[in-house]
Amino acid sequence: MIELYHIWKQYQKPFWALSDISLEVQSGDFCFITGPSGSGKTTLLKIIFRELFPTEGQILIDGVNILKIPDHKIYRLRRIMGIVFQDFRLLFHRTVFDNVAVPLQVLGINHKEIRRRAFNALRQVSLQNKMWELPQRLSYGEQQRVAISRAIVNNPKILLADEPTGNLDPELAFEIMSIFKEINEQGATVIIGSHDRELIRHFGDKIFFLQKGKIIGKEVKK
Amino acid sequence: MIFRQLSYLLKAAGNSLWSFRGRNSISILIIGFSFLVIGIFLALSNNLTYLGRQLSNNLAISFFLDKNLRSEELDFIKSQILTSSLVEEATYVSPDEAFRRFAANFPELKDVLENLKSNPFPPSFEVRLREKTINLTALTSFMENIKHLRGVVDFQFNQEWVEKMDSLSRIIRAIGFFLGGILILASFFIISNVIRLNVFARKNEIEILRLVGAANTFIRIPFLIEGFTLGLVGSLISIIILFILITMFPIYVGGSLGAARELFILRPLTAEQIAWLIIGGAVTGTLGSITSVSRFLRV
Repeated sequence: MIELYHIWKQYQKPFWALSDISLEVQSGDFCFITGPSGSGKTTLLKIIFRELFPTEGQILIDGVNILKIPDHKIYRLRRIMGIVFQDFRLLFHRTVFDNVAVPLQVLGINHKEIRRRAFNALRQVSLQNKMWELPQRLSYGEQQRVAISRAIVNNPKILLADEPTGNLDPELAFEIMSIFKEINEQGATVIIGSHDRELIRHFGDKIFFLQKGKIIGKEVKK
Repeated sequence: MIFRQLSYLLKAAGNSLWSFRGRNSISILIIGFSFLVIGIFLALSNNLTYLGRQLSNNLAISFFLDKNLRSEELDFIKSQILTSSLVEEATYVSPDEAFRRFAANFPELKDVLENLKSNPFPPSFEVRLREKTINLTALTSFMENIKHLRGVVDFQFNQEWVEKMDSLSRIIRAIGFFLGGILILASFFIISNVIRLNVFARKNEIEILRLVGAANTFIRIPFLIEGFTLGLVGSLISIIILFILITMFPIYVGGSLGAARELFILRPLTAEQIAWLIIGGAVTGTLGSITSVSRFLRV
């Protein structure tokens, strides 16, 4: 389903952020990309949802080369994806509800349905009581849960998450991972960039080990 | 679906207009001022056109004829005069009638007239023009045509004043459009920059919208609505101020101008002119925003 062929990425010469990455993620996989800070996890995820272009290489999603999709049509790819950003990217002047509702508003879904789905998504991360708060009044961990809620609200086919549990206590991190697992069991492909070994060991079906921009190992549980 | 998105887009535009109300108000005032300048010049030009029309309506053209014309020839000349669409009426003035009129108009010259051995006044056709006739080119060509008919000796028409009024009206309108054009261009850039600032201020939001799958149009439309609204409100304000000026002008300034007052009366704009000013405002705003959004919102 997601195929990466010989991906190279260079921000600044002569350093390579990613070197010759080739990997394949099947539909319905629950996989982790792990490695130390600076190993290229975020860059790799950004390339998969085409926030960044690789310097070289090809990426196919469902057989479509996403690097060839023109800019004005890239929204179609993003609509099948849910993304949890490392820096959350929340709208701080809008309520928690508004933040979670954005992907649905973009699709033109009716207001009643938006309320229902947004409420459910917030309930999944235990934030339904704070839906009318502004994100700036929430803790760091709560903001992260809002970002997760926004990523899962439109039942994405592919869920990408960059350090989604980085600021959560172990108990909540485990709970969030269970939500991801649940979404995965409903048919979504989940790719998580994380260095939380405990969670990876517990949840990961397929794990790619990244170091200095190169894949140095792969582990498949099933 | 489109309507549901539209309500979101309108809300987004409204939010932005309100959030950045300071800079938005300034751009509305600048647009308003630009269109006000055009409006004032249009109102002045309307007045001069009106005066020109009045003048031409009150003026009659006199075609002086040969004294020895036969009645068929007179009929032919009259019929030629009446074929023109500019003419309302043509009246024959005999030499005797002309003499009588002169005597009545200038009683102090009675002695001179009594000493004349013969009537020096030629017969003539006095032509009254149709109302709203101000097409000077057509008028000149008409007069030239009649002048070349056999039996027509000369003509008299106080064309100079009408021409002066007409060209003054055109100059005023041209100055208005020139100044207004410069100001509109300035407003265009100001709107463009205001929208650009709004785009920058909402950069994060735009980024998030892109990443959650918003189409380019979805991101652009609120900015276009903003530009359209700024332009529209600006031009509406200019029309309101112009209306107030037209009402107040004779009260506060009119009297001090003395005889020149007639020239500087602000005559209300026609419905068509008002419509064009409003459309102009809306178009300026929308275009300003399109330029800015396309250039600075590479989505």
